[in-house]
Formats: sequence, C-alpha cells, structure tokens
Amino acid sequence: MTNIFSLDWYFISLLFFIGLYCMLVSRNMLRQIIGLEIMSKSCLLAIILSGVATNNVNLAQAIAITMILIEVVVVAIGLSVLIKAYRITGSIDLWKLSKLKG
Amino acid sequence: MTYHLTLFVIVIILAVIAVMAKNMLFSAIALALVSIGVSLILFTFGSPWAAVFELSVCAGLITVLFISAISLIQKEEKFLNESRIRFMLLPLALIIAAIASWIYIVPFFESLSKYPHLNIHNYPLGQIIWKNRVFDLIGQICILAAGVFAIKSIFPRPVRDTRAKDLLKGAEKVNNK
Repeated sequence: MTNIFSLDWYFISLLFFIGLYCMLVSRNMLRQIIGLEIMSKSCLLAIILSGVATNNVNLAQAIAITMILIEVVVVAIGLSVLIKAYRITGSIDLWKLSKLKG
Repeated sequence: MTYHLTLFVIVIILAVIAVMAKNMLFSAIALALVSIGVSLILFTFGSPWAAVFELSVCAGLITVLFISAISLIQKEEKFLNESRIRFMLLPLALIIAAIASWIYIVPFFESLSKYPHLNIHNYPLGQIIWKNRVFDLIGQICILAAGVFAIKSIFPRPVRDTRAKDLLKGAEKVNNK
C-alpha cells in the first residue's frame, strides 16, 4: 500500500509532464503559454505539498502567493508579446519569429 | 482521501483536454477549470489563502487575459494548421510517463515520507508575510513594476506631436536618399 504523500507527488509529476509535452510539441505561442501555466500549477502544488510534509504550511502559502503574482506578470507579458508579434508578422507561429536571428 | 485523489484525477483529465482541444477558446476554459481544481486541492491541503489567490487570480484574471488575446487573434486559428497527430499522441505519452514515474518517482517519495517533521514555530500567515519574509514584498513590487514597464514599452503611445512627426518624416527622407 503506497503512501498518500507519494501518490500526490505522482499526480503532480504527471501534471508537470502534460505541461512540458504541450510546450515541446506545439508551435502555437498561445498553446506554449498554456503549457507554461499547467507546469506552474504543478509547481505550486509541489510547494504547498512540501510545506504540508514539513509541517510548515504557512510559509509555503506565503511563497505560493508570491509565485502566483509572478505567474500573472509572466502571462500578461507573454500575451502582450504574442499580440505584438501577431501585428508584426501576421501569425502566432513560433517559427516565424526567426527574423530575430538577425 | 478518495475526494483528494479524485480531484487530482479530474485536474489531470482537464489538463489533457486543455492541451488537446483544437479550439483555443475551449482550451482556455479548460485551463480555468484546471485552476479551480487546483484551488480545491489547495483547500484540502489546509492552505486557504493560497487557494483563494489561485481561484481569484488564476481562474479569473488569467482566463480573462487569455480570452481577450484569443479574441484579438481570432482569424489566425484558420491558417495555423498544426499537425494534430502530435497532440493525439499525448494520452499514449502520458501512459508511458505514468508507468515510468510509478517505477521511479513513487519509491523515491515513499522514502522521503519518513522524513522527520521540522519542529519549527508555525507562525500565522500574516506574521510570515509582514515580518519574517518582508523582503519578498519588495521583490513583488519590483516584478509588478517590471511588468507594467514591459507592457508599456511593448505597446508605446502613437506619436501625436506634429513636430515629432515632421522630424520622423525628415529622417525617412534622409534614409530614402
């Protein structure tokens, strides 16, 4: 019989894998940001779970709040870069950003 | 315990739907549902503040941002044709990852679960945020300011000053010559 703690980590690793797969496979910039979101959610769960495991939930909550704020700023900047790239290149394909190579 | 694990399974299924959905709007709504599921899991972990932040910010604000971005690039959906086969392979890859992590990750964390709990003072959240980790607040303010400046530099104001326009035209003429 496996422990509930290790089962939680098992599901968190699966959630992280889904986000990573999405980021690896897709060329769509919006889908990349969705993959990043899923990965950051699994990291958030991991932080809280480690806080629960070491009997220090409140410190983990304080760090989780900081992390949520960083996540929002990253998503907002990512989406604004996406819209700007769409206006310039007319596409949300990542491969069309190769003009930045110089 | 069953409620807890059921929530985890639901979150993973919703994440798979968010990745595999062809319609981006549907994908964004599935991501919001993932956020709601994660916040319910955080409630079961006994961390209500993080859950409330997750529910209000990630399920609310980020979904609004996503939907507004999708509505701005609505036409693009018709001409970015990605091959769907890679997305259809996700369940297969997920099953392989599940088997591998059952073999490698579960025994590792099984050994970690016997880790002794720290006997530190479990201060209330307010004291941790405002006294123990007050330096984090400076970092948060810096990140917010950086975000605002980044968005302002990405979308600059159009030039309205006639003199500046004349200068720009002159510069273009010089460049053309």
